[in-house]
Amino acid sequence: MSRKKVLLVWLTLSLLLSLVAAGPVAGQEDEIVIGVYEPMTGPQAAGGELTMQGVYLAHEVRPEVLGRPIRLVLVDNRSDKAESATAVQRLIEQEGAVAIIGSYGSSNSMAGGEVAERAGVPVMGCSPTNPLVTEGKDYYFRACFIDPFQGRVMAKYAVEELGVEKVAIIQDVAQDYSVGLAAFFREAFIELTGDAKGIVAFTAYQTGDQDFTAQLASVMAKNPDAIYAPGYFGDGALLARQAREMGYQGYILGADAWEAPELIEIGGSAAEGILITSHYHPEAELSPASQPFVELFMEKYGERPSAFAALGYDAYMLVVDAIERAGTDDPKAIRDAMAETKDYEAVTGTITLDKNGDAVKDAVILKVEDGEFKYVGTVKP
Amino acid sequence: MRTSITRNRILTVLALAGFVVFLVYAQTNWDAYRLRILNLCAVYTIFAVTFNLIYGYTGQFSLGHAGFAAIGAYAAALLTMSPEQKAANFFLAPIIPLLRDVEWPFLPALLVGGTLAALASLLIGWPALRLRGDYLAIATLGFSEIIRVLFVNWQRITNGSLGLKGIPDHTNVYWSWGAALVTIFVVKRLVDSSYGRALRAVRDDEVAAQALGVRLFTHKMMAFMLSSFFVGVAGGLMANLISTIDPKVFMFFLTYQIVGITVMGGMSSLTGSLVAAVLYTVFLEVLRPIESPFDLGPLHIPGIPGMRMVLFSTLLLLVILFYRQGLFGQREFSWDGLLNTLARLHRRVTGLWGRTPPPSTVEKGEQ
Repeated sequence: MSRKKVLLVWLTLSLLLSLVAAGPVAGQEDEIVIGVYEPMTGPQAAGGELTMQGVYLAHEVRPEVLGRPIRLVLVDNRSDKAESATAVQRLIEQEGAVAIIGSYGSSNSMAGGEVAERAGVPVMGCSPTNPLVTEGKDYYFRACFIDPFQGRVMAKYAVEELGVEKVAIIQDVAQDYSVGLAAFFREAFIELTGDAKGIVAFTAYQTGDQDFTAQLASVMAKNPDAIYAPGYFGDGALLARQAREMGYQGYILGADAWEAPELIEIGGSAAEGILITSHYHPEAELSPASQPFVELFMEKYGERPSAFAALGYDAYMLVVDAIERAGTDDPKAIRDAMAETKDYEAVTGTITLDKNGDAVKDAVILKVEDGEFKYVGTVKP
Repeated sequence: MRTSITRNRILTVLALAGFVVFLVYAQTNWDAYRLRILNLCAVYTIFAVTFNLIYGYTGQFSLGHAGFAAIGAYAAALLTMSPEQKAANFFLAPIIPLLRDVEWPFLPALLVGGTLAALASLLIGWPALRLRGDYLAIATLGFSEIIRVLFVNWQRITNGSLGLKGIPDHTNVYWSWGAALVTIFVVKRLVDSSYGRALRAVRDDEVAAQALGVRLFTHKMMAFMLSSFFVGVAGGLMANLISTIDPKVFMFFLTYQIVGITVMGGMSSLTGSLVAAVLYTVFLEVLRPIESPFDLGPLHIPGIPGMRMVLFSTLLLLVILFYRQGLFGQREFSWDGLLNTLARLHRRVTGLWGRTPPPSTVEKGEQ
């Protein structure tokens, strides 16, 4: 009997706890609920955490709209697709969210987007860059630029500023993000140089690979001016190290997912000189809103904001801005107002949403120098 | 004895009818959030029941569930998606012409998904089922990863890592629970038949079973293929439920979840698998408010993401500590058992809290 009792006690306790927790929340009548679904646990938790720093800060700065308090409801999507769909459904049905923010990871966003579309509740993505997220969706928008744009920016920079003529591409075939960037970089590079032979190698690895020497050896035999490897920072750091150890002298180019302290920690001296495209840099005066945000952020967290925090901040502010312009908390009206977002001065640049709901804005080029990401320049869309 | 069998039949039919009424009620009255959870319950039930068939009853520790689910999911998704959706999805590399214009109804798509999964299990089972224990686990786990890597690289068939979206949302509670009930029925009939006894013999001692004339390979293969078929169907249901899939959904983590559910419910107990699958899915949602900030009397508790996973892990820990065999062990639900328990409860209540001797008899009735 005692075993059953233990189990019973546990069950009742945890259920009671969740009841207590669910109880007093639905307090104020006139509040406006903004839902957030982010990976707070699971493999993508780090990204979710960074994004939430920005969202929380934004909520502190603007806790009300239309004279009504905003209640922010965060649900964890466990970096999981099925769970993301459930999370968005919960935000809409149980929490009464009129607009939603999320999610880090395009895969999660695509699952959430299907649900939101059907329910007719607008979603503002903070950092999902896969073009499929907003494609064919009336209710999905995003504060970030998409992979095609980022790939194009790096191609343009490589050709026009660095004078690269021969480039090798190494993509992470298991990541939609990397596959997309590689394809669009290639397209833009050929378009700019008019020389399809300029892509001397197009090869791939899988997330989790530790040894890139085979790919690098075949790539280096072609003697490229630059290697473009739009994967994640861990792979990037290892790849850079192994390339330098093998005597590679040219440029190493990456994308926004390389922007992590780990790239420099793991990469060490090999990381020096790496060039990446990104959404944001505290030193880049992307818009008048940038500097005040950095100060506020430093004050609250005591560290410099990451690009994801900046995008989280922007996503929240864009949602609030749309609610204000809509003048009501009706999801359809908010959606319409959101679609008309034009020249909004966000932290990560001046945002205009195009017909797909994607942000059109500047990208920044960063360079690793003396163990830090330094701001190099801004590229206009 | 005859009367009790008739009685049980009637009760089963009544219970099924009641369940169907409940499904109809749920489908028409529940909001989309609850329906989604109800659907997920059914999908996980199929996963757990089929894992139970291959491991609990046959004793073959196969970790290939995620791979078979991926096959079923992609087959069902590609067959049910509209040509326009496919064109939009395959924006990097065009889809192969063979799949470009097909748009099938749900049922044949599901069946094809299941059949392909079963065929794949034949391919892997042929060499791998000659292995035992850990080696089989490693081989099947490797196989499931191979499937995922293939799907990542078959850009023109699966759209690679970009994934598929806009899969029609055909799955409703009739489909999902219909498939779950068929799975339970088929597996139950199988394990109660002479084949089922042979499977158990294989599980308990392969040499002895072989000596008694059980053809090891055929029996293992049958259980493996049947289980894979239903896993494929469940994968298809899942794809048409969340309406977007990509290879990352089918990482080995999915398999571990299924193993966890099955162990919690009890090996060789279909009742256990069903209860645990429903418990797992519902509980993770019910516990969600714990992660948001709340007041416990004078105490303000800030929201800690991941709290429900902590609570859930303690549940799993408790089950493993106190119920070595899982919640149900090898026991199954039976009407005799339920009626006995009810009668005992009734006696206890009418006995005015009088101490009755502790019931030590284990309810172990046949259906």
